[in-house]
Amino acid sequence: MSYTELTVWTRGIIMDKEGRDIVNSIAASARLEGKFSQAMENYVDNPDRTNAPTRKYCRVSESVLENELTYENEKPNIVVLVEQTMVKGWDYMRGMPPGGTLVINTQYSPEYMIRFVPGPERLAQLVCVDAARLADHKWLYYRLGELGLDRLSTEGAAERSKTIAPDIAAPLIAAIVKTTGIVKRETIEPMIGYKKAFQLALQELHVLPINPVAA
Amino acid sequence: MSTKGTRIPDWLTVPFAGITPAPSQEKGQDLFPTGNWRAIRPVYRDKMPPCNNACGTNEKIQGYLDLVKRGKYLDAYALIKEDMPFPSVTGRVCYHPCEQACNRGQYDEAISIRAVERFLGDLGQTLARDVVKAGPPNGKKVAVVGSGPAGHSAAYQLARLGYQVTILEKSPKAGGLNRGGIPDWVLPQHVLDREIERLVQLGVTIKTNVEVGKDVTWDELKKNYDACVLAVGLTEPNSVRAEGENKDGVIYGLPFLRDIGMGTSKVELGPRVAIIGGGNTAIDCAREALRQGAVEVAMITVEAHPQEMPCVPEDLHDMLEEGVELMHGRAMTAVLGNGKVEALQLFPARFSGAINASPIIVNREVPAERFAVDNVIIAVGQHASLGWLPAEFKTERGAIKVDQFGRIGNTNFFAAGDVVQLGSGQPLMVVNAVGDGKRVAFNLDKMLRGEPLQPRKVPVDVIVDLNRMNMTYFPHFPRIKQAMLTPASRRRTQQEVILGYSEEQASDEASRCFSCGTCNACDNCYLVCPEPCIVRSARSNGLYKILVDYCKGCRVCIEECPTGCLEGVPELDFDTGVVRMDTAFAITPGLHGRQAQELENFANRPAKQI
Repeated sequence: MSYTELTVWTRGIIMDKEGRDIVNSIAASARLEGKFSQAMENYVDNPDRTNAPTRKYCRVSESVLENELTYENEKPNIVVLVEQTMVKGWDYMRGMPPGGTLVINTQYSPEYMIRFVPGPERLAQLVCVDAARLADHKWLYYRLGELGLDRLSTEGAAERSKTIAPDIAAPLIAAIVKTTGIVKRETIEPMIGYKKAFQLALQELHVLPINPVAA
Repeated sequence: MSTKGTRIPDWLTVPFAGITPAPSQEKGQDLFPTGNWRAIRPVYRDKMPPCNNACGTNEKIQGYLDLVKRGKYLDAYALIKEDMPFPSVTGRVCYHPCEQACNRGQYDEAISIRAVERFLGDLGQTLARDVVKAGPPNGKKVAVVGSGPAGHSAAYQLARLGYQVTILEKSPKAGGLNRGGIPDWVLPQHVLDREIERLVQLGVTIKTNVEVGKDVTWDELKKNYDACVLAVGLTEPNSVRAEGENKDGVIYGLPFLRDIGMGTSKVELGPRVAIIGGGNTAIDCAREALRQGAVEVAMITVEAHPQEMPCVPEDLHDMLEEGVELMHGRAMTAVLGNGKVEALQLFPARFSGAINASPIIVNREVPAERFAVDNVIIAVGQHASLGWLPAEFKTERGAIKVDQFGRIGNTNFFAAGDVVQLGSGQPLMVVNAVGDGKRVAFNLDKMLRGEPLQPRKVPVDVIVDLNRMNMTYFPHFPRIKQAMLTPASRRRTQQEVILGYSEEQASDEASRCFSCGTCNACDNCYLVCPEPCIVRSARSNGLYKILVDYCKGCRVCIEECPTGCLEGVPELDFDTGVVRMDTAFAITPGLHGRQAQELENFANRPAKQI
């Protein structure tokens, strides 16, 4: 019986919704496929602080979830970094069993990013997708350097929250679905707000196979 | 902030619950190493200020202006002396390309850099002992031919490197173009004498009345010295190839100024003098002619407008103030008179190309103009006299052929100054010759030590865009003008026309410097950082340090840096600065971790404990 844990690392306020969209849409699609799933946000990490690292969790299982009262993912099979500089800051690989997948939103190549990953031998593949460019995101792509100055990112969030994955979450979901098969593309695609970015990402992924034997 | 559910290391626990050390306290930043919130890292990266780049010898202009601003005049003088052997000379005569390039010129008025340089040079002249010392002797002998700007500069730098330098000068007095090409009312002789005295104090031997090709041969130079720098300059005036140019009363510009400078002039000018040419030498000749007794001086140029003349605009302005008349768009085709100049034959003319050196087209279809004069001074450029040099080392234009390092062929001979730069497109100016001499001296040193030579020009990041700086920190402030003698009082005397700055004026003028792209230790980053992330060990350039483990990359220091030396560099471009967080905001086997472990063991527990 397969059981998969997905942890999304994102930044407080400015990319909070992107992380939430990823876990929610994947958990919802898994249920549509008849699996048991669960998604939740983190309240320990202080997501109300700009740029503060924040985690979102998702679990998908073909049997009843035994640990649904556990809050953190102890052994994430899939880790997603919504913002690329997080690759340097935390031990997001903690607890990952061999054969895992790391997905990063970055304009750099996987060959470059691998140097920052702690314990990369546990990875089956490192996936880099330039989600900010594919989704044409003004802050994350054109003005990344001004992220720290951005104090208004929740502006428009109420309108945006009606749609699932209206921007950079769409390419990231595409990357997860294509490289791990956690849910089927046909199930999740109708939910995505920004379909064009989703489809573009399916073409423009950069995958670095690392230790596929362990998978 | 809540630290619930996270583990605080033992060494960080504090006596009272709920109190954690502030970031400004000891170990306070270790608790929350927020450095990994950062997408952009602030980095101090000094750029090349446009003034330093434009300067022919790359003086550290921003550096000495900053020192003058702080009242450290001696340090400023020592800094200028690294690249410039005679700041008191260039502080008077330089055509100041630095001021044309000055970013302040886009904002209000360029800094009067030359005046500050002169202030420092004059300060240096009053010192009993110079700040520069000769290097430890290395036992090698170098000959420098010519004591003009390039030769002086090369000899100065070589002496500082420890060489035993001998200057061979063909004139009775050392100084070359500095003495023979620049009038006394621009550069008083005693100022130059003092600078040459400084050079002798460095251990340089100057042999005057020694001409290469006559008193010393190429082979003798090769035999007697380890290496040689040829800085012979352009000594022969160009002719205009007009009919009757050999008549009495026709004088050439450079010899005219040189003889006056050397004190050997026998020229007596009539009341009406014409100057042929529109360059800097022509202007000096025109102004000198007034001082030598001419009543009416007219300058005849092929250029159609004053703006097209290849000269320093303010010198042109000063000349016009003194009463010299300009006659544009004409060429002299013949000197008329019976054995002596009586008049000039002029035709309308223009240059065939865009630059002033292109061939002249004379329109002979209109009737010739007759212009009555008593003397005519021809100042249309110079060429070199290199009869003694092997033909293989000459260019088609009669200059010395050198490689990109300033070296002549595969020999131990180098060449510098106008004699190399003629036809290269570089302005033939004092400061360019000084820079040339400096670079050649360093390459000569490298050659003798068997190190790879450096090419003459190195590309650099020059900051010319005001948007790269923060202009809100710079109020508009007018340039401080140097005092001058009035036109009426100066046109008949050899007294210096432009006067120097006072200490207060120099300091005020230096304070206007933007310090483009270069940290001048203004402390602004230190003050605006919202966190205590910037530390300074001393108030000096390059001595600020950013605590990258704590800096969140908020960009405030970058935005507020007045000079633009602070840059935001994408964090992922650095391999360093990896902090794997293990405290607050970070995943730890905290409360929920322990809970998970309990749940895993759930099935194994005895029933009564549930």
